[in-house]
Amino acid sequence: MTTSTDAKSAAETTDPKNWTNRLRGRIEGLVPPGQALPDRQPVYVASWIYVFGVLTLSSLAVVILSGSVLAIGGVQWWHVSSLGHFVNSVHLWSVELFFGFMVIHLWGKFWMAAWRGKRAMTWITGVLLFGISIGTSFTGFLSQTNFSAQWIAGEGKDGINSTGAGAFFNVLNPGQMLTWHVVLLPLVVVLIVLIHIIQVRRHGVVPPLDAHLEG
Amino acid sequence: MIRSLSVVAEGPGRYISWGVVQISVANLTIIVAMIVLFVLALVVPFPSGHGEEADQERHQK
Ligand code: HEM
Repeated sequence: MTTSTDAKSAAETTDPKNWTNRLRGRIEGLVPPGQALPDRQPVYVASWIYVFGVLTLSSLAVVILSGSVLAIGGVQWWHVSSLGHFVNSVHLWSVELFFGFMVIHLWGKFWMAAWRGKRAMTWITGVLLFGISIGTSFTGFLSQTNFSAQWIAGEGKDGINSTGAGAFFNVLNPGQMLTWHVVLLPLVVVLIVLIHIIQVRRHGVVPPLDAHLEG
Repeated sequence: MIRSLSVVAEGPGRYISWGVVQISVANLTIIVAMIVLFVLALVVPFPSGHGEEADQERHQK
């Protein structure tokens, strides 16, 4: 530990050997100052198509909240309780909205080539989110504890096992599929969503394709 | 009661066949609804007091 006699407060030291300092610098540099939660945007952002990212994010919040309630009740709760059935339906339909909004978001970003201007990582994290979200809902279907889940597992096992993934991802093992569904995959999705949104705030919203024509 | 509830999950569903393309009415409906929503998002004006005009009005004041 070092003691400083000058007026600098501890929070202001810039000693590069200090992990905390380096981490603080990292976090502060993630997005330009004032850009984390801006209240104004360029005029071209005034279109409904820009709302779909946030709609996707909001439905993801409902998915996670309803899923957490289901986790308290347990996987079989919805077979025996009308409240459980209701929460299960909220979970299913928020997932449906999540995917619908995500795909419209994706179409919008595709047709405006939103990967321009060093925004490749935004697009790539989006592609990852699309793929991993499908995997997450797949393990959700496997966790229904009904014949549908059994049928999907039976149909899916050979294809997945032939890739070698069956060693740690065995669709015939409902306990394993449940933990993938409620712990591992949601963690990955939330983490990548964070990176995705930091990327968006870091670079600002991409200007429209015809912006340079207007000068 | 059970009968009327189970209608939702019963039956093979209706399919539309068009050459090699085969799709359930449910899936087709969702895809069409998404395309409609996408087009609406592009053409419906966005209510905003923050646009260029609002900015200019603010500057003129
Ligand atoms: C969990 C799913 C997703 C969430 C929560 C999400 C969220 C967001 C949000 C809130 C924004 C900023 C607002 C907006 O422009 O709509 C955004 C921007 C963007 N998203 Fe996503 N997104 C997701 C999936 C995807 C997918 C699947 C793609 C494409 C493959 C994608 C590509 C992009 C791109 C390129 C931008 C940046 C646009 C720019 O810089 O102007 N996103 N996303």
